[in-house]
Amino acid sequence: MASRIRRTLLNIIPSISERAGQWALQRFSGGLVGQLGDRLTDKFLEFLLYGMDLGFCLSRDYRRNIKDFRGSYVFRTANQSVAASVTFANEDMQVQTKPVEDWDCRITFENAAALRRFLFSGNQDILNSLLANEVEVEGNLNYIYRFGFLAKDLGRRLGVV
Amino acid sequence: MPEITLGDLSLGNCVLSERVTHLRDVYFESMPEICGERPRLITRFSKNHGFFNGQPISILNKAKMYRRVLEEREAIVSHTRGVGRDMRPFPFEDRQLFAGSTTSKLKGVPLYPEFLALTLWPELWTMSRRESNPFYITEDDVKTLNFDVFPHWLENNILELGRKRYYEQNLQKYGRKKYDPEIKLMQRLVFFLASKPECISHTIPDFSKAVKLGLRAVIDEAREKEATAPDPARKEFYAAVREVLEGIIGYSRNLAAEAERLASLENDSGRKQELLDIAVVHRQVPEFPARSFREALTTVWICWTAVHLENPNIGLSLGRLDQILYDNYRRDIDQGRLTVADAIELICCLWLKIGDHVPAVPEASEQLFGGTGSNQAITLGGVDRDGNDAVNDLTYVMLRATELMKLRDPNLNARYYSGVNSQEYLRRLCEVNLETGATPALHNDRAVIKALTSKGETMEQARDYGVIGCVEPGSNGRFYGHTAAILLNLTSVLELALFNGRHRHTGMDLLISKETGDPRTFTSFEQFIGALEEQIRWIADHSTDLNNFFGKIHQDFYPTPILSSLFEGPMEKGRDLIDGGAAVNSSAATISGLADVADSLSAIEKVVFDDKVVSFEELLEALERNFEGYEALQALLINPEKTPKYGNEDPKADANVRRLVETLDRVFGEKENYRGGKYRVGYWTMTNHAGFGRLMQAMPNGRKARENFTSGITPVSGVTPSLTKALNSVALQPASCLASGVALNLKYTPEQDREKMLENFADTVEGYFDDDGGRSDGGMEIQFNIVTHKTLVDAVGNPDPKMLVRVSGYTAYFKDLNPQMQKEIIDRTEYLLSTGKMVTFEPFPLPTKR
Repeated sequence: MASRIRRTLLNIIPSISERAGQWALQRFSGGLVGQLGDRLTDKFLEFLLYGMDLGFCLSRDYRRNIKDFRGSYVFRTANQSVAASVTFANEDMQVQTKPVEDWDCRITFENAAALRRFLFSGNQDILNSLLANEVEVEGNLNYIYRFGFLAKDLGRRLGVV
Repeated sequence: MPEITLGDLSLGNCVLSERVTHLRDVYFESMPEICGERPRLITRFSKNHGFFNGQPISILNKAKMYRRVLEEREAIVSHTRGVGRDMRPFPFEDRQLFAGSTTSKLKGVPLYPEFLALTLWPELWTMSRRESNPFYITEDDVKTLNFDVFPHWLENNILELGRKRYYEQNLQKYGRKKYDPEIKLMQRLVFFLASKPECISHTIPDFSKAVKLGLRAVIDEAREKEATAPDPARKEFYAAVREVLEGIIGYSRNLAAEAERLASLENDSGRKQELLDIAVVHRQVPEFPARSFREALTTVWICWTAVHLENPNIGLSLGRLDQILYDNYRRDIDQGRLTVADAIELICCLWLKIGDHVPAVPEASEQLFGGTGSNQAITLGGVDRDGNDAVNDLTYVMLRATELMKLRDPNLNARYYSGVNSQEYLRRLCEVNLETGATPALHNDRAVIKALTSKGETMEQARDYGVIGCVEPGSNGRFYGHTAAILLNLTSVLELALFNGRHRHTGMDLLISKETGDPRTFTSFEQFIGALEEQIRWIADHSTDLNNFFGKIHQDFYPTPILSSLFEGPMEKGRDLIDGGAAVNSSAATISGLADVADSLSAIEKVVFDDKVVSFEELLEALERNFEGYEALQALLINPEKTPKYGNEDPKADANVRRLVETLDRVFGEKENYRGGKYRVGYWTMTNHAGFGRLMQAMPNGRKARENFTSGITPVSGVTPSLTKALNSVALQPASCLASGVALNLKYTPEQDREKMLENFADTVEGYFDDDGGRSDGGMEIQFNIVTHKTLVDAVGNPDPKMLVRVSGYTAYFKDLNPQMQKEIIDRTEYLLSTGKMVTFEPFPLPTKR
């Protein structure tokens, strides 16, 4: 994840030009674009969170999505082989590579493909994911809808949604 | 009893006017648009008045909010643009005879962030392009919803308020953090769908006071009652009523002012006069009594838009409009101020207005609810409160308008009381079905009235029933019954009995309910039935507990002053509907999979216990393998000549259906809801039987995994070769157990000899409704698709956007249905009325996952 120094540097770009930030976002998000295309791997969640973090740094417009938003998420696989916690506060996003205890919404997913289908599918797979028990959501369901928007909005900015 | 004065009951000389033809074309051309007006205004008021602090919201505060929104919302007399199916805006000249709109769009999608609007959040940028039933949305509306609306409801919609309270309650009760067994059960979707987080809505307001006396008189009544009310709660209720009714009057005045403004700018003298006429109407109603048919219709329409401001557009129904509006119609006709053609034009315009909105179905829910409209039922005909024939000229006028328009909304339902209503009327109902291919649904007054009185409604109340949402009967304007509170998948209950409290969909290592015994150890069919009944009780306990819990959340956060002010009961009691103010209260469970479960019971009884063809263990093994390697067994199970099937007058098969409906009625009927009413049970399934079907594995009746279940109370498709026997089996079921309504779906082949077909059609309905001299109740409801298998198959690849079909309760445009539901309609048993025999065809292929 972006270090504090790197974030500060990155934040300069959109203050110069939103378009430049958008260009940089696209330039540095190739990995996520690949994951959303035909190069899906177990690292999907990592790429997604990295891409979001980058997006918040490089685009004021994208960052506006989390203005005044405080909330925490845990993403994990059932066997805990993949786990991450995401906290939104102060117009920023913090990621930890382990689950935290105090979460608003916890998403347990079968594998990377299931999580991608859940967040990005263009047709009816969200329900399929829930119905097929590929993904389980606990806590405040509204948080997953908000996260879904953040993910799709990033995808839109990257031209893949 | 009103005299029928029309010479030709079919009103064949009356055709669509040029105005209506144009408006109808635009209606079909236009795409639904998300409307940000309501959520924006509601959110702003809620934010500014501290509604987001997690504390209960008083009815008076809610009423003040609705008044403000009614007075501030855009007063639209004529729309100037729509959005085409190609997503391009198009201008048009809107010469509607009615002003006002449910949303600010020509065909709008109203959003209720208090309920489930946030489910649309992830797809705000993509919903215009989605495969199933896309919604157009402007970039401005995306931004408004994302930045200014949805964030405020994250912690404050009904679902989250309920979940949070549930956690707290369980923390105290069980000492376990974030423990939510019932909510998890609800989220698994495969057992039941709980509707409270989405809406209550399903009901019929009472428009009669508004039409006859005007809202000013109701305000005066509320003021008088407020002055003498014995306690603060009742005083507050009456104050809230005054607030919202002033709001509705204010909205109508704004429309009058806008019409006058537009008239002052208009050069076309004809249109100028139309606008001035609209202004005159809105200066009069709904504040004061309606003086004409048009003013009466306008009163209903304006009150209707206000009801939708408060209550989500799901299943709200208009009731017996041919009764409520008849006096105004008759007076205008008698005084020569109205012709039948004028009346039809007005009704057609109103029908289009009623259809000016669609529900906000997220893409993910399209599988369960795809293609649905707002299910706004209108009820015609039947008997009046004294049991006399209530069919009048206006009944026929409304039938003709429906026949000409062929619209999804409103959902037309016709009542028929054999021996009281005329044969000509029944014949006309059948004729409209032939013409439209799908509407109206027909209800047997004798059986329905018996069902309602068995649940405690008085004879007068029961005779004055209207149809709600899909097919649910309830006393018109006085019954608050949330008929869709619980959508129960009965096949899941069977699954729990088959697998000792476990479900193959959620995994065999997870105990979902309670262990009722391993069927492989059962020595009698009755033992299995005992296990099933225990599972039914378990699911009824949990689903009604959850419904009652969310009902209390509604009581704290969602009082309904608008609906309460237009209802019989709340004004008398000084109490909101949500707190039990209605004259008649209930909640209901509606059941999916009745025929599939009943046939499964018959199969187990015959094949395992009576004939001992296989053991229970072998049967379960066959189900596990989806009958692969067990083809001979499956052939035996699906063969109606070898294994009893509901719908063939087989005593054992019909008895198993009866056993189920009696058990469900008894178990749910013992439950009390949060408003002091009892639960009722119905058998109408919308598209859920297809949605649930794709989740479920193979079943003992020979149905393979992922195949559709059967709709409503209908026997399983393809196993009932004789129409008469099918109808007789259904008619055997006791009406008192079906009080929340049934949908019997039949498909008839259109025939060359139309007159003969019409005669057979009416005779068949008459026979199905017959109570056999009191030995049975007769069938309660019946609805049709008059279309061939081939036409439907062709329509899958080459859809006609106007092709109307009957789903299981409501009507829909065939093209809007998801592939699984299209298959279900295609595969329904089709009968040739001239022979009474089933038409044979190959089942349509199961859609592959896209």
